[in-house]
Amino acid sequence: MKSLQKLLPFLTLILLFVALVIASPHFLTATNLSSVVRQTAVINIMALGMTIVIISGGIDLSVGSILGLSGIAGTMAMAHGASIAAGIAIGILTGLVCGMLNGIMITKLRIAPFIVTLGTLGIYRGIALIISNGLPVNKLPQGFSFLGEGNILGIPFVLWLLVLCALAVHFLLEHTRLGRYAFAIGSSTAAAVYAGIPVSFYTTAVYAIGGLLTGLAGMIEASRLMTGQPTAGFGYELQAIAAVVIGGGSLRGGEGSVVGTLVGAFIMGLLSNGSDLLGISNYVQQVVIGAVIILAVAVDELRKRRLV
Amino acid sequence: MLIELKNIQKRYGGVAALRDGNLAVNAGEVHLLLGENGAGKSTLMKIVAGLVERDGGQMLWNGAEVHLKTPAEAAKIGVAMVHQESLLAPQLTVAENIFLGREESHPLGWVKRRRAVEAAARLIEQHHFPLRAEWKVEKLSPAGKQLVEICRAIQHGSSLLIFDEPTSSLSGAETEEVFRIVRTLRARRMGVIYITHRLEELRAIGDRVTILRDGQTVHRGDLAELTTNQIISHMVGRQVSSTYHRDPFPPGEPMLELEGLTVKGKIDNVSLTLRAGEIVGMAGLIGAGRTELCRAIFGVDRPDKGSIKVAGKLVRVDSPRAAVKAGIALVTEDRQITGLALPLPIAVNMTMANTEGISRFGILDLKKQATVAADYITRLRIKAQSGSQPAGRLSGGNQQKVVIAKWLFTQPRVFLFDEPTRGIDVGAKAEVFDFMHELAKSGAAILMVSSEMQELLQVADRIIVMRQGKISGELPGRTTQQEIMRLATLESGLESIS
Repeated sequence: MKSLQKLLPFLTLILLFVALVIASPHFLTATNLSSVVRQTAVINIMALGMTIVIISGGIDLSVGSILGLSGIAGTMAMAHGASIAAGIAIGILTGLVCGMLNGIMITKLRIAPFIVTLGTLGIYRGIALIISNGLPVNKLPQGFSFLGEGNILGIPFVLWLLVLCALAVHFLLEHTRLGRYAFAIGSSTAAAVYAGIPVSFYTTAVYAIGGLLTGLAGMIEASRLMTGQPTAGFGYELQAIAAVVIGGGSLRGGEGSVVGTLVGAFIMGLLSNGSDLLGISNYVQQVVIGAVIILAVAVDELRKRRLV
Repeated sequence: MLIELKNIQKRYGGVAALRDGNLAVNAGEVHLLLGENGAGKSTLMKIVAGLVERDGGQMLWNGAEVHLKTPAEAAKIGVAMVHQESLLAPQLTVAENIFLGREESHPLGWVKRRRAVEAAARLIEQHHFPLRAEWKVEKLSPAGKQLVEICRAIQHGSSLLIFDEPTSSLSGAETEEVFRIVRTLRARRMGVIYITHRLEELRAIGDRVTILRDGQTVHRGDLAELTTNQIISHMVGRQVSSTYHRDPFPPGEPMLELEGLTVKGKIDNVSLTLRAGEIVGMAGLIGAGRTELCRAIFGVDRPDKGSIKVAGKLVRVDSPRAAVKAGIALVTEDRQITGLALPLPIAVNMTMANTEGISRFGILDLKKQATVAADYITRLRIKAQSGSQPAGRLSGGNQQKVVIAKWLFTQPRVFLFDEPTRGIDVGAKAEVFDFMHELAKSGAAILMVSSEMQELLQVADRIIVMRQGKISGELPGRTTQQEIMRLATLESGLESIS
């Protein structure tokens, strides 16, 4: 029973893939698949960060806004003469600081993550709009497009990046104390406190890492569009959270995996790409994603109730 | 006879909470229900109040048999219960709380507010309660809240009122107030069942007594005919002291020294010393401050005053982390919440308090983790398939062993056990005692909190008794249950016995 539930996301992904191959002749082409990978990479990398946050029993609703603010910060730096590398670093750093601030507020003010990040969803987006005057940032150095659109050995650079991030997060979760503590805090905060784990520090670290990955995703998004959009990433939190829960992450904390999240994110990517190919509107996609989140959580709860 | 219970039985799963509960209460009397923790008092009262259904036996109300399935049914015939912990809605007013769930409403659905306030005011005046109908409940003292509970209970013209330890959270003056009210109710020909653990209160309030032990009624009679010593004997049973006793080691250096430890409202000026190789028992009633003392030593609650020394060195224990670092371990009484992360593997739980021991520069050595876990599984004889099995799948006793393994891996010098045998079977109990013995032998100092006096008598070298946040006395290991009960329940210990 449990193994079947673990396999469910994989089966869904395969089924979806096969269905799309049959339904559209344009699906199984190199251009389309590479476009799916590029589209999905942004959500995927965000979702990897969200995985750690959700495993620790938290949630970050502000990732869409962090993505927007990071992109603006990085591209504005480049537009003001910073090098490409410095610009990317500034974007990533912005994400890290945003995540860290979320974590500090959650642990020091003892406010529920849901509330803190709902607040910063507004704050970070507002800051992005203020510092950019609400206008897109253009005139970016040509080489910057490589991050989002380049290839290495014929494979999209973002795919290499994604694999690297996935391996890093997997290692973090399964082989470091930080990952161990994220699972412990998410499974039982009380037991973690009583075991002498510095819960506040590690909770903050978890949000900071989530922010860092979102910052990177923000720079990829900016590179793909070759502009810094203050409204970039709007509503992405929905997709990032969906990817994690579809992949077996539990919103109650203590459960989740990198592989699961990747599968979840690719399911979302295929849903979106398939809808485009079949001429289904973006609006319908929103409805589908929302419904899929509820469905995935419902399946998880049902399984838990049966086990307990 | 207002109410009569005959041969009441109640099982929870495999555990018999009541085997032969008997109780008879007249109108116009205050009937004391006495017994140790777990004797079955609460279960019997829950049956009377319609909170649980009996498995067997008879319950007669004014001579006719009744089966109460819900508190509402109990309220209908005239039974009401004043709960120990306040079940009031703090943001609502006194009047709103009194009529909560029984609001008179207009046919169109709105609540007749003024009517409720007037009715509450009348009720309060009738009984000369120091309350006002429009006060917010959150602003009231514990005694005030108790009064609102009482108002709730009597507003429907109840004829039997149950008080479950009403004075456990009250000051002296407030206790007097509750007594005065109980006497008024008695004068109005109501029946009152009164549960208390404070033996010195008995004579001030009670008329007749029913004493429960191990789910059975062991004595019924007039209070005036019983000495306090006899009451204690009935409560703990006649089998005195135990046969088995471990041979204590000569105690070594002081490992834990508490000096005037105080947490406001919880523990009051507690000083004690635990030496290496000692197992010190801690007895007391529920709410006496034993768990609170453990929490203060372990840094969960910060002491307002006092100092803690571990192995002769002053330590500042302001968090569990600091306590663990100082070499203190706490096996908590609620292992499923504070002891274990149930969904996580056994091996993860065992190493959780000392990940430093299985990692280098923050990177875990999973092979070492597996070795450590396999080692403890063998040493503590834990019945598990492997270390990767979730801790939540184990039985209570095996879960407790995982908790003990977790602390063994931190190599503590001071081991606090809070109700270590709760919810585990007899075999596992004996094993836990063996581990404690081993630990003491290896030079750790052990404090064992337990509500099972028999256990303390078996295991402890000496027994400290707490009462209302203070240490009320210390007894040698070979004492009797009577002695312990005396210190746990009586204001001034030995002298005040009649």
